[in-house]
Amino acid sequence: MSALDLTLRGQAAAIAAGDTDPAELLDEALERIAARNPALNAVVETFPERSREMLDEAPRGPLFGVPVVIKDEWPLPWRAQRFGAAEMPTPSAPGESGPYRALRDAGATIVGVGNMHELGASSTGNASVYGPAHNPWDTDRCPGGSSSGPAAAVGGRLVAGAVGADGIGSIRFPATYCGLTGLKPTFGRSAMAGHHMAEVSTTIVSGPLCADAADCRLLAGALFGADLAAGEARGLRIGVVRDTVSEDVAPGVREACEAALAALAEGTGGEVKEIELADIEAATLATVLIANTENLGALSPSRLNDLDPELTPIARGFLKYRMLLPAAAAVKAQQVRTLMRRRLAAAFEEVDAIAWPTVPAPAPPLEAPLVELPSGTLTADQANVRGAGLANLTGIPAISLPVGLSDGLPVALQLQGAWGRDELLLDAAEALERANGRRWVEALPPLARPEPTEA
Amino acid sequence: MRRERPGCTIPAKRGSVGLPAPMEASNRADDFIPAGLASLGIEADEVDLAVIGAAHSLFWPAILELLELEIDVPPEPDLDLSRAPAR
Repeated sequence: MSALDLTLRGQAAAIAAGDTDPAELLDEALERIAARNPALNAVVETFPERSREMLDEAPRGPLFGVPVVIKDEWPLPWRAQRFGAAEMPTPSAPGESGPYRALRDAGATIVGVGNMHELGASSTGNASVYGPAHNPWDTDRCPGGSSSGPAAAVGGRLVAGAVGADGIGSIRFPATYCGLTGLKPTFGRSAMAGHHMAEVSTTIVSGPLCADAADCRLLAGALFGADLAAGEARGLRIGVVRDTVSEDVAPGVREACEAALAALAEGTGGEVKEIELADIEAATLATVLIANTENLGALSPSRLNDLDPELTPIARGFLKYRMLLPAAAAVKAQQVRTLMRRRLAAAFEEVDAIAWPTVPAPAPPLEAPLVELPSGTLTADQANVRGAGLANLTGIPAISLPVGLSDGLPVALQLQGAWGRDELLLDAAEALERANGRRWVEALPPLARPEPTEA
Repeated sequence: MRRERPGCTIPAKRGSVGLPAPMEASNRADDFIPAGLASLGIEADEVDLAVIGAAHSLFWPAILELLELEIDVPPEPDLDLSRAPAR
Protein backbone atom coordinates (compact mmCIF):
# COMPACT_ATOMS: atom_id res chain seq x y z
CA MET A 1 0.00 0.00 0.00
CA SER A 2 1.25 3.48 -0.81
CA ALA A 3 1.79 5.80 2.14
CA LEU A 4 -0.54 8.09 0.24
CA ASP A 5 -3.37 5.75 1.19
CA LEU A 6 -2.71 6.23 4.90
CA THR A 7 -4.77 8.71 6.86
CA LEU A 8 -3.46 12.25 7.19
CA ARG A 9 -2.20 11.49 10.69
CA GLY A 10 -0.83 8.16 9.46
CA GLN A 11 1.21 9.93 6.81
CA ALA A 12 2.49 12.44 9.37
CA ALA A 13 3.42 9.63 11.77
CA ALA A 14 5.13 7.57 9.05
CA ILE A 15 7.25 10.57 8.05
CA ALA A 16 8.08 11.44 11.67
CA ALA A 17 9.12 7.84 12.31
CA GLY A 18 11.34 7.84 9.25
CA ASP A 19 9.29 5.15 7.54
CA THR A 20 8.24 7.43 4.67
CA ASP A 21 10.35 9.89 2.72
CA PRO A 22 8.30 13.11 2.36
CA ALA A 23 9.90 13.92 -1.00
CA GLU A 24 8.82 10.53 -2.33
CA LEU A 25 5.36 11.07 -0.85
CA LEU A 26 5.10 14.38 -2.66
CA ASP A 27 6.10 12.74 -5.94
CA GLU A 28 3.53 10.00 -5.35
CA ALA A 29 0.85 12.62 -4.74
CA LEU A 30 1.71 14.39 -7.97
CA GLU A 31 1.63 11.08 -9.85
CA ARG A 32 -1.70 10.19 -8.22
CA ILE A 33 -3.13 13.55 -9.26
CA ALA A 34 -1.90 13.03 -12.82
CA ALA A 35 -3.50 9.59 -12.91
CA ARG A 36 -6.86 10.21 -11.24
CA ASN A 37 -7.55 13.88 -11.71
CA PRO A 38 -8.67 13.66 -15.34
CA ALA A 39 -11.75 11.80 -14.12
CA LEU A 40 -12.36 14.18 -11.22
CA ASN A 41 -11.15 17.68 -12.22
CA ALA A 42 -10.63 18.14 -8.49
CA VAL A 43 -7.23 19.82 -8.71
CA VAL A 44 -7.04 22.78 -11.07
CA GLU A 45 -3.35 23.53 -10.71
CA THR A 46 -0.21 21.89 -9.41
CA PHE A 47 3.17 23.61 -9.00
CA PRO A 48 5.75 20.92 -8.29
CA GLU A 49 8.65 23.30 -7.86
CA ARG A 50 6.76 25.46 -5.37
CA SER A 51 5.66 22.34 -3.51
CA ARG A 52 9.24 21.08 -3.34
CA GLU A 53 10.40 24.45 -2.07
CA MET A 54 7.73 24.34 0.62
CA LEU A 55 8.89 20.89 1.63
CA ASP A 56 12.56 21.92 1.65
CA GLU A 57 11.77 24.81 3.98
CA ALA A 58 9.15 23.04 6.09
CA PRO A 59 9.44 23.08 9.86
CA ARG A 60 9.05 19.79 11.74
CA GLY A 61 5.46 20.59 12.61
CA PRO A 62 2.51 18.24 13.12
CA LEU A 63 1.93 17.98 9.36
CA PHE A 64 5.56 17.86 8.30
CA GLY A 65 5.84 16.59 4.74
CA VAL A 66 2.15 15.77 4.33
CA PRO A 67 0.68 16.79 0.94
CA VAL A 68 -2.58 18.73 1.08
CA VAL A 69 -4.86 20.57 -1.33
CA ILE A 70 -6.21 24.06 -0.75
CA LYS A 71 -9.38 25.51 -2.24
CA ASP A 72 -9.22 28.13 -5.01
CA GLU A 73 -10.59 30.60 -2.45
CA TRP A 74 -7.27 31.39 -0.82
CA PRO A 75 -4.31 33.27 -2.26
CA LEU A 76 -0.89 31.65 -2.22
CA PRO A 77 2.39 33.57 -2.43
CA TRP A 78 2.75 32.41 -6.03
CA ARG A 79 -0.89 32.37 -7.12
CA ALA A 80 -3.99 34.57 -6.81
CA GLN A 81 -7.24 32.79 -6.07
CA ARG A 82 -9.86 32.81 -8.84
CA PHE A 83 -12.85 31.80 -6.70
CA GLY A 84 -13.84 29.35 -9.42
CA ALA A 85 -14.81 32.24 -11.66
CA ALA A 86 -13.72 34.24 -14.67
CA GLU A 87 -14.09 37.35 -12.55
CA MET A 88 -14.33 37.99 -8.81
CA PRO A 89 -16.37 40.71 -7.11
CA THR A 90 -13.13 42.06 -5.63
CA PRO A 91 -9.63 42.00 -7.09
CA SER A 92 -7.35 39.15 -6.09
CA ALA A 93 -3.59 38.93 -5.90
CA PRO A 94 -0.97 36.42 -4.79
CA GLY A 95 -0.24 36.55 -1.08
CA GLU A 96 0.22 34.70 2.18
CA SER A 97 -3.31 33.86 3.23
CA GLY A 98 -4.03 32.68 6.75
CA PRO A 99 -4.62 29.07 5.72
CA TYR A 100 -1.40 29.10 3.66
CA ARG A 101 0.58 30.31 6.67
CA ALA A 102 -1.13 27.79 8.93
CA LEU A 103 -0.27 24.91 6.60
CA ARG A 104 3.28 26.16 6.07
CA ASP A 105 3.88 26.60 9.79
CA ALA A 106 2.55 23.09 10.46
CA GLY A 107 5.05 21.72 7.93
CA ALA A 108 2.49 20.67 5.31
CA THR A 109 3.16 20.71 1.57
CA ILE A 110 0.54 22.33 -0.62
CA VAL A 111 0.46 20.07 -3.65
CA GLY A 112 -2.37 21.66 -5.59
CA VAL A 113 -5.32 24.03 -5.73
CA GLY A 114 -8.79 22.56 -5.46
CA ASN A 115 -11.61 23.41 -7.84
CA MET A 116 -14.70 25.17 -6.50
CA HIS A 117 -18.17 26.21 -7.59
CA GLU A 118 -18.18 29.53 -9.40
CA LEU A 119 -18.13 32.40 -6.87
CA GLY A 120 -18.85 29.90 -4.11
CA ALA A 121 -22.50 30.17 -5.00
CA SER A 122 -23.88 26.64 -4.98
CA SER A 123 -24.03 23.40 -3.02
CA THR A 124 -23.51 21.32 -6.18
CA GLY A 125 -20.09 22.14 -7.67
CA ASN A 126 -21.46 21.77 -11.19
CA ALA A 127 -20.19 25.11 -12.50
CA SER A 128 -16.68 26.51 -12.46
CA VAL A 129 -14.38 28.45 -14.72
CA TYR A 130 -12.29 25.27 -14.76
CA GLY A 131 -15.25 23.06 -15.59
CA PRO A 132 -17.08 21.12 -12.89
CA ALA A 133 -15.37 18.77 -10.48
CA HIS A 134 -16.77 15.23 -10.45
CA ASN A 135 -17.87 13.03 -7.59
CA PRO A 136 -15.44 10.14 -7.02
CA TRP A 137 -18.34 7.85 -6.10
CA ASP A 138 -19.99 8.45 -9.46
CA THR A 139 -18.28 10.84 -11.83
CA ASP A 140 -21.59 11.78 -13.46
CA ARG A 141 -22.76 13.23 -10.16
CA CYS A 142 -22.16 16.46 -8.30
CA PRO A 143 -19.21 16.51 -5.91
CA GLY A 144 -20.93 19.15 -3.78
CA GLY A 145 -20.02 22.78 -3.45
CA SER A 146 -18.67 25.11 -3.12
CA SER A 147 -15.52 23.25 -1.90
CA SER A 148 -15.97 20.75 -4.73
CA GLY A 149 -12.31 20.19 -5.59
CA PRO A 150 -10.99 19.73 -2.05
CA ALA A 151 -13.71 17.15 -1.41
CA ALA A 152 -13.27 15.29 -4.68
CA ALA A 153 -9.49 15.28 -4.13
CA VAL A 154 -9.76 13.71 -0.69
CA GLY A 155 -12.65 11.46 -1.72
CA GLY A 156 -10.58 10.17 -4.63
CA ARG A 157 -7.59 9.82 -2.27
CA LEU A 158 -5.40 12.16 -4.28
CA VAL A 159 -4.49 13.54 -0.87
CA ALA A 160 -5.64 12.77 2.67
CA GLY A 161 -6.62 16.28 3.64
CA ALA A 162 -7.76 19.53 2.10
CA VAL A 163 -8.71 23.02 3.23
CA GLY A 164 -12.07 24.38 2.19
CA ALA A 165 -14.27 27.27 3.19
CA ASP A 166 -17.84 27.28 4.48
CA GLY A 167 -20.09 30.33 4.09
CA ILE A 168 -23.40 28.47 3.82
CA GLY A 169 -22.49 24.80 4.09
CA SER A 170 -19.67 24.86 1.54
CA ILE A 171 -17.55 22.36 3.48
CA ARG A 172 -20.40 20.20 4.73
CA PHE A 173 -22.20 19.74 1.39
CA PRO A 174 -19.20 18.37 -0.53
CA ALA A 175 -18.07 16.38 2.50
CA THR A 176 -21.45 14.67 2.39
CA TYR A 177 -21.53 14.01 -1.34
CA CYS A 178 -17.95 12.67 -1.37
CA GLY A 179 -18.28 10.52 1.78
CA LEU A 180 -15.94 12.60 3.96
CA THR A 181 -15.86 14.29 7.32
CA GLY A 182 -15.97 18.07 7.15
CA LEU A 183 -15.76 20.57 9.98
CA LYS A 184 -17.25 24.05 9.85
CA PRO A 185 -15.45 25.64 12.81
CA THR A 186 -16.85 28.16 15.25
CA PHE A 187 -16.71 31.57 13.57
CA GLY A 188 -13.36 33.23 14.14
CA ARG A 189 -11.43 30.16 15.32
CA SER A 190 -9.83 29.18 12.01
CA ALA A 191 -7.46 31.16 9.81
CA MET A 192 -9.22 33.62 7.49
CA ALA A 193 -6.61 36.29 6.74
CA GLY A 194 -6.15 37.02 3.08
CA HIS A 195 -9.63 35.90 2.08
CA HIS A 196 -11.12 38.51 -0.24
CA MET A 197 -14.10 38.86 2.13
CA ALA A 198 -12.24 38.46 5.42
CA GLU A 199 -12.96 42.04 6.43
CA VAL A 200 -16.68 41.94 5.73
CA SER A 201 -17.92 38.38 6.02
CA THR A 202 -19.68 37.19 9.15
CA THR A 203 -20.48 33.76 7.75
CA ILE A 204 -17.35 32.33 6.08
CA VAL A 205 -14.78 30.17 7.86
CA SER A 206 -11.94 27.96 6.68
CA GLY A 207 -12.05 24.33 7.66
CA PRO A 208 -10.82 20.81 6.96
CA LEU A 209 -12.15 18.04 4.73
CA CYS A 210 -10.68 14.63 5.54
CA ALA A 211 -11.69 10.99 5.66
CA ASP A 212 -12.40 10.98 9.37
CA ALA A 213 -12.69 13.10 12.48
CA ALA A 214 -9.18 12.46 13.82
CA ASP A 215 -7.71 13.78 10.58
CA CYS A 216 -10.05 16.77 10.73
CA ARG A 217 -8.84 17.37 14.28
CA LEU A 218 -5.23 17.42 13.09
CA LEU A 219 -5.84 19.69 10.11
CA ALA A 220 -8.20 21.96 12.04
CA GLY A 221 -5.55 22.25 14.73
CA ALA A 222 -3.22 23.71 12.12
CA LEU A 223 -5.92 26.12 10.93
CA PHE A 224 -6.77 27.12 14.51
CA GLY A 225 -3.13 27.39 15.57
CA ALA A 226 -3.95 25.23 18.58
CA ASP A 227 -4.01 21.62 19.63
CA LEU A 228 -7.58 20.37 19.69
CA ALA A 229 -7.51 17.91 22.56
CA ALA A 230 -9.34 14.64 22.05
CA GLY A 231 -11.75 13.51 24.72
CA GLU A 232 -14.61 11.12 25.31
CA ALA A 233 -18.10 12.25 24.41
CA ARG A 234 -19.68 10.46 27.36
CA GLY A 235 -23.36 10.81 28.10
CA LEU A 236 -23.93 12.89 24.98
CA ARG A 237 -27.26 14.69 25.01
CA ILE A 238 -28.34 14.81 21.39
CA GLY A 239 -31.15 17.11 20.36
CA VAL A 240 -33.27 16.52 17.28
CA VAL A 241 -35.65 19.05 15.80
CA ARG A 242 -38.67 17.58 14.05
CA ASP A 243 -39.07 19.96 11.15
CA THR A 244 -38.57 20.17 7.41
CA VAL A 245 -34.82 19.72 7.71
CA SER A 246 -35.13 16.41 9.49
CA GLU A 247 -38.39 15.17 8.00
CA ASP A 248 -38.44 16.14 4.31
CA VAL A 249 -35.60 13.79 3.40
CA ALA A 250 -35.15 10.84 1.07
CA PRO A 251 -35.90 7.46 2.70
CA GLY A 252 -32.30 6.25 2.46
CA VAL A 253 -31.06 9.38 4.23
CA ARG A 254 -33.66 9.12 6.96
CA GLU A 255 -32.87 5.48 7.62
CA ALA A 256 -29.10 6.00 7.79
CA CYS A 257 -29.37 9.09 10.01
CA GLU A 258 -31.78 7.46 12.43
CA ALA A 259 -29.50 4.44 12.72
CA ALA A 260 -26.53 6.73 13.29
CA LEU A 261 -28.34 8.66 16.00
CA ALA A 262 -29.22 5.44 17.80
CA ALA A 263 -25.62 4.22 17.50
CA LEU A 264 -24.25 7.56 18.74
CA ALA A 265 -26.53 7.55 21.77
CA GLU A 266 -25.65 3.97 22.59
CA GLY A 267 -21.95 4.46 21.92
CA THR A 268 -21.70 7.43 24.25
CA GLY A 269 -24.17 6.24 26.84
CA GLY A 270 -26.18 9.28 25.94
CA GLU A 271 -29.69 10.08 24.87
CA VAL A 272 -31.66 11.51 21.97
CA LYS A 273 -34.34 14.05 22.84
CA GLU A 274 -36.62 16.21 20.77
CA ILE A 275 -36.18 19.94 21.12
CA GLU A 276 -37.98 22.96 19.68
CA LEU A 277 -36.22 25.39 17.38
CA ALA A 278 -38.73 27.47 15.48
CA ASP A 279 -38.25 29.64 12.39
CA ILE A 280 -35.50 27.61 10.72
CA GLU A 281 -36.82 28.73 7.33
CA ALA A 282 -36.45 32.37 8.31
CA ALA A 283 -32.98 31.63 9.62
CA THR A 284 -32.02 30.05 6.31
CA LEU A 285 -33.22 33.03 4.33
CA ALA A 286 -31.50 35.39 6.77
CA THR A 287 -28.23 33.56 6.16
CA VAL A 288 -28.63 33.82 2.41
CA LEU A 289 -29.46 37.52 2.63
CA ILE A 290 -26.54 38.32 4.90
CA ALA A 291 -24.07 36.29 2.85
CA ASN A 292 -25.25 37.94 -0.35
CA THR A 293 -25.26 41.52 0.87
CA GLU A 294 -22.10 41.70 2.98
CA ASN A 295 -19.85 42.42 0.00
CA LEU A 296 -22.26 44.64 -1.93
CA GLY A 297 -19.86 47.50 -1.29
CA ALA A 298 -17.61 45.91 -3.89
CA LEU A 299 -20.29 46.06 -6.58
CA SER A 300 -21.46 49.04 -8.56
CA PRO A 301 -23.70 49.47 -11.59
CA SER A 302 -20.70 50.22 -13.76
CA ARG A 303 -18.92 47.07 -12.54
CA LEU A 304 -22.04 45.03 -13.21
CA ASN A 305 -22.27 46.48 -16.72
CA ASP A 306 -18.75 45.35 -17.45
CA LEU A 307 -18.73 41.77 -16.17
CA ASP A 308 -16.46 39.24 -17.78
CA PRO A 309 -18.42 37.49 -20.53
CA GLU A 310 -17.00 34.18 -19.35
CA LEU A 311 -19.06 34.33 -16.16
CA THR A 312 -21.99 31.96 -16.42
CA PRO A 313 -25.41 33.54 -16.99
CA ILE A 314 -26.48 32.36 -13.53
CA ALA A 315 -23.55 34.07 -11.84
CA ARG A 316 -24.11 37.24 -13.83
CA GLY A 317 -27.83 37.32 -13.10
CA PHE A 318 -27.41 36.64 -9.39
CA LEU A 319 -24.78 39.37 -9.05
CA LYS A 320 -27.23 41.85 -10.57
CA TYR A 321 -30.17 40.58 -8.52
CA ARG A 322 -28.26 41.27 -5.32
CA MET A 323 -28.62 44.98 -6.03
CA LEU A 324 -32.41 44.64 -5.80
CA LEU A 325 -32.53 42.99 -2.38
CA PRO A 326 -34.41 45.26 0.03
CA ALA A 327 -32.41 46.88 2.79
CA ALA A 328 -35.28 46.20 5.19
CA ALA A 329 -34.83 42.47 4.64
CA ALA A 330 -31.13 42.71 5.40
CA VAL A 331 -31.91 44.47 8.67
CA LYS A 332 -34.59 41.91 9.50
CA ALA A 333 -32.06 39.18 8.79
CA GLN A 334 -29.83 40.57 11.53
CA GLN A 335 -32.76 40.48 13.94
CA VAL A 336 -33.40 36.86 13.01
CA ARG A 337 -29.71 36.20 13.67
CA THR A 338 -30.01 37.59 17.20
CA LEU A 339 -33.18 35.63 17.80
CA MET A 340 -31.67 32.34 16.63
CA ARG A 341 -28.49 32.88 18.62
CA ARG A 342 -30.56 33.34 21.75
CA ARG A 343 -32.65 30.28 21.00
CA LEU A 344 -29.56 28.19 20.34
CA ALA A 345 -27.93 29.38 23.55
CA ALA A 346 -31.01 28.16 25.41
CA ALA A 347 -31.06 24.88 23.48
CA PHE A 348 -27.43 24.16 24.32
CA GLU A 349 -28.29 24.30 27.99
CA GLU A 350 -30.48 21.25 27.37
CA VAL A 351 -28.37 19.33 24.84
CA ASP A 352 -24.71 19.02 23.85
CA ALA A 353 -25.32 18.67 20.13
CA ILE A 354 -28.15 19.07 17.66
CA ALA A 355 -28.32 16.45 14.91
CA TRP A 356 -29.82 16.73 11.44
CA PRO A 357 -29.25 15.07 8.10
CA THR A 358 -26.59 17.26 6.47
CA VAL A 359 -28.46 17.21 3.17
CA PRO A 360 -31.79 15.55 2.40
CA ALA A 361 -30.69 13.43 -0.57
CA PRO A 362 -27.47 11.99 -2.00
CA ALA A 363 -25.49 13.64 -4.79
CA PRO A 364 -27.66 14.49 -7.81
CA PRO A 365 -26.51 14.28 -11.44
CA LEU A 366 -24.18 17.05 -12.62
CA GLU A 367 -26.39 17.70 -15.63
CA ALA A 368 -29.59 18.14 -13.63
CA PRO A 369 -28.97 18.80 -9.94
CA LEU A 370 -32.47 18.04 -8.71
CA VAL A 371 -33.46 15.94 -5.72
CA GLU A 372 -36.61 13.94 -5.07
CA LEU A 373 -38.02 14.50 -1.61
CA PRO A 374 -41.32 13.57 0.02
CA SER A 375 -42.48 17.15 -0.66
CA GLY A 376 -41.61 16.89 -4.35
CA THR A 377 -38.77 17.72 -6.70
CA LEU A 378 -36.48 20.55 -5.63
CA THR A 379 -33.21 21.93 -6.89
CA ALA A 380 -30.37 20.57 -4.78
CA ASP A 381 -29.54 24.11 -3.65
CA GLN A 382 -33.07 24.75 -2.42
CA ALA A 383 -33.05 21.51 -0.48
CA ASN A 384 -29.50 21.61 0.85
CA VAL A 385 -29.43 25.13 2.18
CA ARG A 386 -32.18 24.34 4.69
CA GLY A 387 -29.91 22.45 7.06
CA ALA A 388 -26.72 24.43 6.63
CA GLY A 389 -27.39 28.12 7.11
CA LEU A 390 -28.09 28.10 10.83
CA ALA A 391 -24.46 27.39 11.79
CA ASN A 392 -23.16 30.19 9.57
CA LEU A 393 -25.83 32.61 10.72
CA THR A 394 -25.15 32.09 14.39
CA GLY A 395 -21.43 31.24 14.43
CA ILE A 396 -21.74 27.79 15.98
CA PRO A 397 -19.54 24.87 14.83
CA ALA A 398 -20.91 21.98 12.80
CA ILE A 399 -19.50 18.71 11.56
CA SER A 400 -20.74 16.44 8.81
CA LEU A 401 -19.77 12.81 8.88
CA PRO A 402 -20.62 9.85 6.65
CA VAL A 403 -23.17 7.44 8.09
CA GLY A 404 -24.08 5.19 5.19
CA LEU A 405 -24.64 4.70 1.50
CA SER A 406 -27.90 5.07 -0.38
CA ASP A 407 -27.90 3.54 -3.85
CA GLY A 408 -24.13 3.52 -3.67
CA LEU A 409 -23.83 7.20 -2.75
CA PRO A 410 -22.73 8.62 0.61
CA VAL A 411 -25.20 9.90 3.18
CA ALA A 412 -24.22 12.09 6.14
CA LEU A 413 -25.32 13.26 9.55
CA GLN A 414 -24.59 16.79 10.75
CA LEU A 415 -23.89 17.61 14.38
CA GLN A 416 -23.97 21.20 15.58
CA GLY A 417 -22.59 22.31 18.92
CA ALA A 418 -22.34 25.38 21.08
CA TRP A 419 -19.81 28.12 20.34
CA GLY A 420 -16.25 26.93 20.86
CA ARG A 421 -17.20 23.30 21.29
CA ASP A 422 -15.59 22.16 18.04
CA GLU A 423 -13.60 19.61 20.03
CA LEU A 424 -16.78 18.05 21.41
CA LEU A 425 -18.15 17.63 17.87
CA LEU A 426 -14.93 15.90 16.85
CA ASP A 427 -15.16 13.68 19.94
CA ALA A 428 -18.76 12.82 19.10
CA ALA A 429 -17.87 12.07 15.49
CA GLU A 430 -15.10 9.74 16.62
CA ALA A 431 -17.51 8.03 19.00
CA LEU A 432 -19.92 7.44 16.14
CA GLU A 433 -17.10 6.12 13.93
CA ARG A 434 -16.24 3.61 16.64
CA ALA A 435 -19.89 2.67 17.08
CA ASN A 436 -20.08 1.98 13.32
CA GLY A 437 -16.83 0.02 13.32
CA ARG A 438 -15.37 2.85 11.17
CA ARG A 439 -17.27 1.30 8.29
CA TRP A 440 -18.31 4.52 6.60
CA VAL A 441 -15.15 6.56 7.09
CA GLU A 442 -13.11 3.75 5.58
CA ALA A 443 -15.44 3.15 2.63
CA LEU A 444 -13.71 3.95 -0.65
CA PRO A 445 -15.25 5.04 -3.93
CA PRO A 446 -14.58 2.73 -6.88
CA LEU A 447 -11.78 4.80 -8.41
CA ALA A 448 -9.85 4.89 -5.12
CA ARG A 449 -10.03 1.18 -4.39
CA PRO A 450 -6.74 -0.73 -4.67
CA GLU A 451 -6.24 -2.65 -7.90
CA PRO A 452 -6.83 -6.36 -7.30
CA THR A 453 -3.52 -8.19 -7.31
CA GLU A 454 -3.07 -11.43 -9.16
CA ALA A 455 -2.74 -14.51 -6.97
CA MET B 1 -44.83 35.61 15.71
CA ARG B 2 -46.00 35.53 12.12
CA ARG B 3 -48.58 38.19 11.36
CA GLU B 4 -51.28 37.64 8.79
CA ARG B 5 -50.27 39.55 5.69
CA PRO B 6 -52.96 41.47 3.84
CA GLY B 7 -53.46 40.72 0.21
CA CYS B 8 -51.63 42.65 -2.43
CA THR B 9 -52.56 46.31 -2.13
CA ILE B 10 -51.14 47.30 -5.48
CA PRO B 11 -53.98 47.49 -7.95
CA ALA B 12 -53.37 45.48 -11.08
CA LYS B 13 -53.90 48.58 -13.15
CA ARG B 14 -53.81 51.99 -11.62
CA GLY B 15 -55.06 55.07 -13.32
CA SER B 16 -52.97 58.13 -13.93
CA VAL B 17 -52.49 60.36 -10.91
CA GLY B 18 -52.08 63.35 -13.14
CA LEU B 19 -48.32 63.53 -13.24
CA PRO B 20 -46.42 63.99 -16.48
CA ALA B 21 -45.98 60.61 -18.15
CA PRO B 22 -42.29 60.23 -17.30
CA MET B 23 -43.13 60.71 -13.61
CA GLU B 24 -45.89 58.11 -13.45
CA ALA B 25 -44.66 55.33 -11.23
CA SER B 26 -44.55 51.77 -12.46
CA ASN B 27 -47.57 50.00 -11.11
CA ARG B 28 -46.94 46.38 -11.91
CA ALA B 29 -44.97 43.95 -9.82
CA ASP B 30 -43.67 42.47 -13.07
CA ASP B 31 -41.93 45.75 -13.74
CA PHE B 32 -39.95 45.53 -10.53
CA ILE B 33 -36.93 43.79 -11.97
CA PRO B 34 -36.41 45.72 -15.20
CA ALA B 35 -37.46 48.99 -13.57
CA GLY B 36 -35.25 48.37 -10.55
CA LEU B 37 -32.26 47.53 -12.67
CA ALA B 38 -32.90 50.44 -15.01
CA SER B 39 -33.19 52.88 -12.12
CA LEU B 40 -29.77 51.73 -10.93
CA GLY B 41 -28.36 51.99 -14.42
CA ILE B 42 -27.72 48.26 -14.59
CA GLU B 43 -27.98 46.75 -18.03
CA ALA B 44 -29.72 43.41 -18.40
CA ASP B 45 -30.29 41.29 -21.46
CA GLU B 46 -32.96 38.62 -21.88
CA VAL B 47 -30.80 35.95 -20.31
CA ASP B 48 -30.06 38.15 -17.31
CA LEU B 49 -33.75 38.91 -16.90
CA ALA B 50 -34.64 35.23 -17.11
CA VAL B 51 -32.10 34.30 -14.42
CA ILE B 52 -33.08 37.20 -12.20
CA GLY B 53 -36.75 36.39 -12.70
CA ALA B 54 -36.15 32.83 -11.58
CA ALA B 55 -34.21 34.01 -8.53
CA HIS B 56 -36.89 36.54 -7.75
CA SER B 57 -39.69 33.99 -7.91
CA LEU B 58 -37.71 31.81 -5.52
CA PHE B 59 -36.68 34.42 -2.99
CA TRP B 60 -39.32 37.11 -3.08
CA PRO B 61 -42.20 35.27 -1.39
CA ALA B 62 -39.85 34.25 1.42
CA ILE B 63 -38.52 37.80 1.68
CA LEU B 64 -42.06 39.13 2.00
CA GLU B 65 -42.71 36.61 4.78
CA LEU B 66 -39.50 37.65 6.49
CA LEU B 67 -40.51 41.29 6.35
CA GLU B 68 -43.77 40.42 8.12
CA LEU B 69 -42.05 38.65 11.00
CA GLU B 70 -42.54 40.47 14.27
CA ILE B 71 -39.25 40.22 16.08
CA ASP B 72 -38.96 42.18 19.27
CA VAL B 73 -35.19 41.86 19.52
CA PRO B 74 -32.79 44.33 17.94
CA PRO B 75 -29.63 43.17 16.20
CA GLU B 76 -26.82 42.56 18.72
CA PRO B 77 -24.87 45.81 19.11
CA ASP B 78 -21.44 44.18 19.56
CA LEU B 79 -21.96 41.00 17.63
CA ASP B 80 -19.33 38.39 18.47
CA LEU B 81 -20.11 35.26 16.49
CA SER B 82 -17.39 33.30 18.23
CA ARG B 83 -19.38 33.33 21.46
CA ALA B 84 -22.88 32.81 22.76
CA PRO B 85 -24.92 36.01 22.90
CA ALA B 86 -24.76 38.03 26.08
CA ARG B 87 -27.75 37.35 28.29
